[in-house]
Amino acid sequence: MNARRTLTPYLLLIPGLAPILVLMTLVIGMALTRSVTWTDVSGNVSLSLEAWRTILGQDQFWRAFFYSARIGTLGALISVVLAYPVALWLRRPFPGSGLVSSLIKAPILVHGLVAAFLYVNFVSFQGFLNVALVGLGFAARPIRMQNDPYAIGVVILQVWKNMPLAYLILSGSVSAVSDDLLNAARDLGVGTLGRLRRVVLPLTLRSLQAALILIFIGAAGDYTFQAVAGPTNINSMAQFMVRMEVDNGLQGWSLSAVVAVMLMGLSLFGAIALAGLVQVLVKRVGR
Amino acid sequence: MATEAPALTVAEASLRYDRFQALNAVSFSARRGELVTLLGPSGCGKTTLLRAIAGFIPLDSGRIEIDGRDMAGLSPERRDTAMCFQSYALFPHLTVADNIGFGLRQKRLSSAEIADRVSAVAAQVRLSAQLERLPAQLSGGQQQRVALARAMAVRPGVMLFDEPLSNLDAKLRDQVRAEIRALQRAQGFTAVYVTHDQAEALAMSDLVVVMRAGVVEQMGTPEDIYRRPANRFVADFIGTANILAGRVMDTDKANGLYRVETPMGMATVRAEAPPVASHVYLCWRPEDARILSSTEGEVAAENVYRLQVRSRTYLGNLVDLEVGRIDGEGETWRIQTHGTSAVMQGETVAIEIAPERFRFLSEAVT
Repeated sequence: MNARRTLTPYLLLIPGLAPILVLMTLVIGMALTRSVTWTDVSGNVSLSLEAWRTILGQDQFWRAFFYSARIGTLGALISVVLAYPVALWLRRPFPGSGLVSSLIKAPILVHGLVAAFLYVNFVSFQGFLNVALVGLGFAARPIRMQNDPYAIGVVILQVWKNMPLAYLILSGSVSAVSDDLLNAARDLGVGTLGRLRRVVLPLTLRSLQAALILIFIGAAGDYTFQAVAGPTNINSMAQFMVRMEVDNGLQGWSLSAVVAVMLMGLSLFGAIALAGLVQVLVKRVGR
Repeated sequence: MATEAPALTVAEASLRYDRFQALNAVSFSARRGELVTLLGPSGCGKTTLLRAIAGFIPLDSGRIEIDGRDMAGLSPERRDTAMCFQSYALFPHLTVADNIGFGLRQKRLSSAEIADRVSAVAAQVRLSAQLERLPAQLSGGQQQRVALARAMAVRPGVMLFDEPLSNLDAKLRDQVRAEIRALQRAQGFTAVYVTHDQAEALAMSDLVVVMRAGVVEQMGTPEDIYRRPANRFVADFIGTANILAGRVMDTDKANGLYRVETPMGMATVRAEAPPVASHVYLCWRPEDARILSSTEGEVAAENVYRLQVRSRTYLGNLVDLEVGRIDGEGETWRIQTHGTSAVMQGETVAIEIAPERFRFLSEAVT
């Protein structure tokens, strides 16, 4: 009877968990399997680590790896850092707060590709920004901002696209911090920053981590923003993965599968590292 | 015990929300070591006043002083108060020890001093064994004690309680109520306690401030408030009261006696102060009536009334009777007698109310 009672909840989870596990296993399994196969010039397929050796030995791959890690980290951190005060500001409704909240969420409705083209249009040589800068006398001639080598444009697009997501995730948990808790802290002598450090941040840590993880994974695996607005001298992991497949004939799938597995690894460990870092930081400042 | 210098003074405190007057010239003071209760129905302004004392809400006009220092413009974190919230407001991510030491850490005390104070306060509220637990792992009563300990730990000038027992069941409420009062007496801290529970107010307070619609209706010791209610609202709100509209027929000022015609019959009232008008309200409490035996009841005497029992409610230690005139007309009144009383519904009883048990209210019948 006891065993049945213990097992029942787990059995009830099967219909939900099973498809998730199957789909995840399929994707990861296929990528892993493909990454350890090698097709020779005559079309024979064999088990081999040649694809791994080839990819891990490429300087371009590591540049793409660290580039994606950097874009993911910057995109996630800046989005959350900007969304957090907005969520705090809109924590309690006030006249117009609904409109502000809607405007913040608007980028969710715009497709990333459209946003990237709009951005490129805005900063291009003949774009609105350059016309304005020259017209207002801030610049003698148009400045080259499109596909900038520091990927500032990509980070801006990532933040523009992901800040609403961060806001959505954070606003729920920030609103859930009760006024009584904040008043209790005030009453015990804690000022505004102290309340943020010692009460709000620790209580919203989980959603902070969730926002960082989701944004990091999306930004690290970005293709669209990089392809349209990113620097031309470096690839993102997704871009590099596509390039490997397109440029390498029979071995293309194996090489791109290695990049895909590394991208999944980056997403997993990068997200864990980011979440862990934030946890340590919040605990430290919350003391 | 209490000294004469007020630890807290509220003078002419007024606050308005749009068209709603939340507080209207409220004044009272608490001496050091006193427990003052703000009592009243929902929406009377008692919690608003408490929050104004804590500094969460600014007053429109009036003054709040703690230890003679004007609190105007001082933020809550700079006031010498600590509040026990109705919701307890414990920090869910912190252990009991960290919750209790929360305010102490802000005061930048050394770790050793914080630990000493936390363990001392925890011992006072019997939480020493729970120091490493999280609030969610505690019972309601224990959570309430953590909130109390957290407030006590910072040794505030004035402790503020916002209906702290309202989330507890009846038995636990009695227990925690007694504990708070015992701690308050032992520690000698000044406290303002908000409640809508008149039994709580009577049991705990040195001074009761009865409020209605942002106005103080009466202020006094629990005995004063109960035995000498100023008006119909206070009489009715504090305990159960039988309120009669009477007409003063005859006066013996030398002996403080008044003959008053009431719907129950003629009443002789002994009062220290004369009624405010010839048509005036007077009240008596259900326990003021003594049910006479059949032989006693036959003897016509002053303030003896023959009434019919309309309903009978057994309350364990008491029997609550609703009585009215024998002809079945008019209003009804409440009588409480001991739980073994054999008086049954439909019976006619003779009751006697001593002249000093009637009380003139300071409201004329209009």
